[in-house]
Amino acid sequence: MSMNSLSPTVGPPASPGAPLVINWARETLFLLPERAIWWPSQRVLMIADLHIGKAATYRALGQPVPSGTTRENLRRISHLLMHYQPVRLVFLGDFLHAAQARTPAVLRALHEWRQDFPDLECVLVRGNHDSRAGDPPASLNMQVVVEPWLMGPFAACHHPQGHPTHAVIAGHLHPVVKLYGRGRDHLRLPCFCFEDGRAVLPAFGEFTGGWTVTREHARQLYPVGGQAVWRLPDLGKIP
Amino acid sequence: MLARQTLDAWFAGKNWKPFRFQKEVWKAVASGQSGLLHATTGAGKTYAVWLAALMSLMTVTSKPAGTTRKIKGTGVARSPLSQPLTVLWITPMRALAADTLRALEQPLALFKSRENTEVLQLAPWSAGARSGDTASAERSAQNTRLPTVLVTTPESLSVMLSRADAREALHSVKMVVVDEWHELLGNKRGVQVQLALARLKKWNADLCIWGMSATLGNLEDAMHTLLGREGGTLVQGQVPKKLIVDSLLPATAERFPWGGHLGLTMLPQVIKEIAGSSVTLVFTNTRSQAEIWYQAMLEARPDWAGLIALHHGSLDKGVREWVEAGLKNGELRAVVCTSSLDLGVDFLPVERVLQIGSPKGVARLLQRAGRSGHAPGRPSRITLVPTHSIEMVEGAAARAAIAAGHIEARLTPEQPLDVLVQHLVTVALGGGFLPAELYQEVRGTAAFANLSAESWEWCLSFVRQGGPSLAAYPDYRRAVPNEDGIWRVPDARLARRHRMNIGTIVSDASMSVQYLGGSRIGSVEESFAARLKPGDCFLFGGRLLELVRIQDMTAWVRRASGKRAAVPRWNGGRMPLSTTLADAVVRQLALAGEGRYDTPELRCVRPLLELQQQWSALPTTETLLAEVLKTREGTHLFLYPFAGRHVHLGLASLLAWRVAQHEPRTFSIAVNDYGFELLSADYVDWPSLLPEVLKPGHDAEAKSAMLEDSGREGERMALLHEVLESLNASELAQRRFREIARVSGLIFQGYPGEKRSNKQLQASSSLFFEVFRKYDPANRLLLQAEQELLAQELEIGRLNASLQRMSTQKLVLMMLERPTPFSFPLMVERFREQLSNESVADRIARMVQQLEKAAGELSPVKGGAVQPADESQNMGGGIRERLAFGEDTLRSSALSRSGRRRSRKKNQ
Repeated sequence: MSMNSLSPTVGPPASPGAPLVINWARETLFLLPERAIWWPSQRVLMIADLHIGKAATYRALGQPVPSGTTRENLRRISHLLMHYQPVRLVFLGDFLHAAQARTPAVLRALHEWRQDFPDLECVLVRGNHDSRAGDPPASLNMQVVVEPWLMGPFAACHHPQGHPTHAVIAGHLHPVVKLYGRGRDHLRLPCFCFEDGRAVLPAFGEFTGGWTVTREHARQLYPVGGQAVWRLPDLGKIP
Repeated sequence: MLARQTLDAWFAGKNWKPFRFQKEVWKAVASGQSGLLHATTGAGKTYAVWLAALMSLMTVTSKPAGTTRKIKGTGVARSPLSQPLTVLWITPMRALAADTLRALEQPLALFKSRENTEVLQLAPWSAGARSGDTASAERSAQNTRLPTVLVTTPESLSVMLSRADAREALHSVKMVVVDEWHELLGNKRGVQVQLALARLKKWNADLCIWGMSATLGNLEDAMHTLLGREGGTLVQGQVPKKLIVDSLLPATAERFPWGGHLGLTMLPQVIKEIAGSSVTLVFTNTRSQAEIWYQAMLEARPDWAGLIALHHGSLDKGVREWVEAGLKNGELRAVVCTSSLDLGVDFLPVERVLQIGSPKGVARLLQRAGRSGHAPGRPSRITLVPTHSIEMVEGAAARAAIAAGHIEARLTPEQPLDVLVQHLVTVALGGGFLPAELYQEVRGTAAFANLSAESWEWCLSFVRQGGPSLAAYPDYRRAVPNEDGIWRVPDARLARRHRMNIGTIVSDASMSVQYLGGSRIGSVEESFAARLKPGDCFLFGGRLLELVRIQDMTAWVRRASGKRAAVPRWNGGRMPLSTTLADAVVRQLALAGEGRYDTPELRCVRPLLELQQQWSALPTTETLLAEVLKTREGTHLFLYPFAGRHVHLGLASLLAWRVAQHEPRTFSIAVNDYGFELLSADYVDWPSLLPEVLKPGHDAEAKSAMLEDSGREGERMALLHEVLESLNASELAQRRFREIARVSGLIFQGYPGEKRSNKQLQASSSLFFEVFRKYDPANRLLLQAEQELLAQELEIGRLNASLQRMSTQKLVLMMLERPTPFSFPLMVERFREQLSNESVADRIARMVQQLEKAAGELSPVKGGAVQPADESQNMGGGIRERLAFGEDTLRSSALSRSGRRRSRKKNQ
């Protein structure tokens, strides 16, 4: 597969509140301002780095972080599920934050959420946090797989990596980009990062940090902010 | 009496005569009084207090001579058991502990030699130090039995209070000496000392407390804060030495001054001064500045290698000790240092003190001047080396202020709840507490004298369950009452972690710097190390180093040569110009405005001041100068209240917020000690807006506050409300939260020397801040972040006073065609705050549009930097190049992905 077929092409112009539509690996993808990817032809929703129970982990280790982040995460997923009605939801790794995250309250919230969507097919591509935290309980009815997990032209991964035949969609990095404006205005925004046959999603979870990526040649960034996904102009090809 | 005789004989033998102030302290301690000794370093203050302790507290045993105790079964004579812990000697710096201990041990030797000859015996005194640097073998020996006098730090004292047997170990303390109290008084470490003293007083109601302090504007007050009550004996040390304050002046003054630049052009003169004196201390205001100066001096005088040295807080302890020893025995010609050498240790041979950049305050200047001419009778001399032209005025201003006796006061922080929360857990570990009793004890300190029952209850519920709401923090608890109502820490793991994290000094996450297969050099901030990639060079510890790799929280380096280097930038240390000195500066400018250039400093800076006057105006005590300039970046407003950078930050946020109340705006804010800049991308009609926004009442709540009370009080309430609102719109509160989160135990700093970061617990304080704001907005630590911001970062009292003053001043608004000497340094300032109430979408749209435009204009190869507006373009050539001085050059360079990713994975 040539580089060209994996390069994103520009969709319709973005407007606040709406997804940004791109073509990638000959498929149409929606980059959602909710920090997720919607693949309409297969009705698949993709989410990376949820880090469920991170606050609970902190509390268990003696750090008082207020509760509410897990329920907020699940509420935001439910909102997307009701709007897009996917048949399959793919978690691109780091679903649970740590073993200490498996508190009764967190597990109860997860089960309640799962019961609201009994027919949904859930897939978790195991990430580095999942390896330590352990797989989610079987009662959550999630298929747990190792990366790369192929679906259509895509290889679903947690760690961004190269793949000889498939376009990689991954998480792990929590990318953010800094933007500067006139009058020395600046913002730090989560972003989708497309580069060299790989797409990296911003972290979906509340209470997750970010890693700053810079604009570079042949790296396409799509920042998320103000209920919209934005396309930054390409810096051009490496000469 | 026996001790007194011995000591008198000692003095006589050395041909010393006690100073009057020493006798005064001896007398006061003998009659059980507490107090404060005001004396400069090197004036015999240690002996004043220490000998008083020996005279009054050495106990006499009537054991007949000759009966030595034998170690059981061996027949070997064992030295008699020393008197139990009697004196606690608190020093603000670990580095001082060893020196202090040596000084205290000297007279103790006297008593050892007498021991076997007298019939009446003095119980022998032992001495020891305990700080973070104490070796573990000595520590465990101390755990069994503490020495008679223990030299320690506020942090180590708190750790001792957290021992389960704290009362047993510390109840025998009869006297506490707090050295360099002026250094602790104004910060949270001082509050920690206040709380610890309250604890000790509870165990010994007759506890004798003595502080030692350098010159302050409010010594009585400082004493009452230390003692936790009115009264006490204030002893004035020896009459201050003769003091000389002068400046090194350049041949011609730069007319467009900016921070950092002028400094190095003064290098030849600094070199000349050093060459002409025996030993010189060169003080700088930041660690980066120290690195740069040291390097430049070595380049200018390679033959001084080994004769000059560098000293700052990020260098390894071994390096610092080597430098201190070199100073004491006179092997070093000069040491470039930061506040790390402000305190304590008497460096007798120091002849000259140079201060690079602003001294920031009169008290600080006096303190640093006192490092020279330590021997009695020799004058102290401090020479200011201005780093930009306006700073020259400060030399003349400082001299005038000293002559007029204007010296800054220092006050204790008011009710820092984070320190109290930490103390609650400490006491819960140290034997537990009954809330009602501890509440009384805590209210005995100056910092918490007005602690309300509500605040107290909140702190209790915070350590018990995270806050008043049970639901907010499930599974979390730190200290809980047992069936007898005594609060203790139930979890051994949490107890261990608390002890590791005691203290109120918050440093950025730092990383060791170490040679490949060699010694440790010191530490740099993690954020700095993370921006380096292997092969990059940086200046540290006076050497050019190349980063090889980052592994195990350590930056592994090797020596490098020839390449361009970055200088680590350490945060913090950007202290504001004091009101006292700022007022003195305005008075000097007013003199200049009248054409009176009477001092060498003013005469030197005359061309700059005249140009300022010609293009705009000079500030005076009666006028408030404002300047407006339009550039391709947008509309700039410059205002010069001369109130110090903290107040300017508050004022700038406040004015920006007030303007934004009328229409959505984003402002970028730059401040320095003389004024501030508000920059907006869009046009702002400042001539008509500024007089309006200098007055309060820009939203409904502020207006109603002013309607309710039309006098001063209504205006004050409106102002307070508006300042708080403007804070919420800016980035400031978030930054302040970091320290509070760490001190109260919200954020875990990790174990000292821990090689791996604790991955499940790593999160930035900004992340915490967001979560708290969203899910527990009533948390009092958030409130405290706000209060501290008001009190310390913005100095609300001073801000209010400036606003009052500004309202009486005549506004002089000048429309500029080009930057003036005063506005230029603000324009090029790169540390900026933001305030915005525009929608994020609008701001992104503008940024993306601009990037599109840039992409259309530029050839694709040229791209690279995202920063669109190059601030130097309309300011003439050559500036850009010189601007880069002193800033880390990495900021704009492209960073390797692989290097960054590697370092990030370490931290995740």
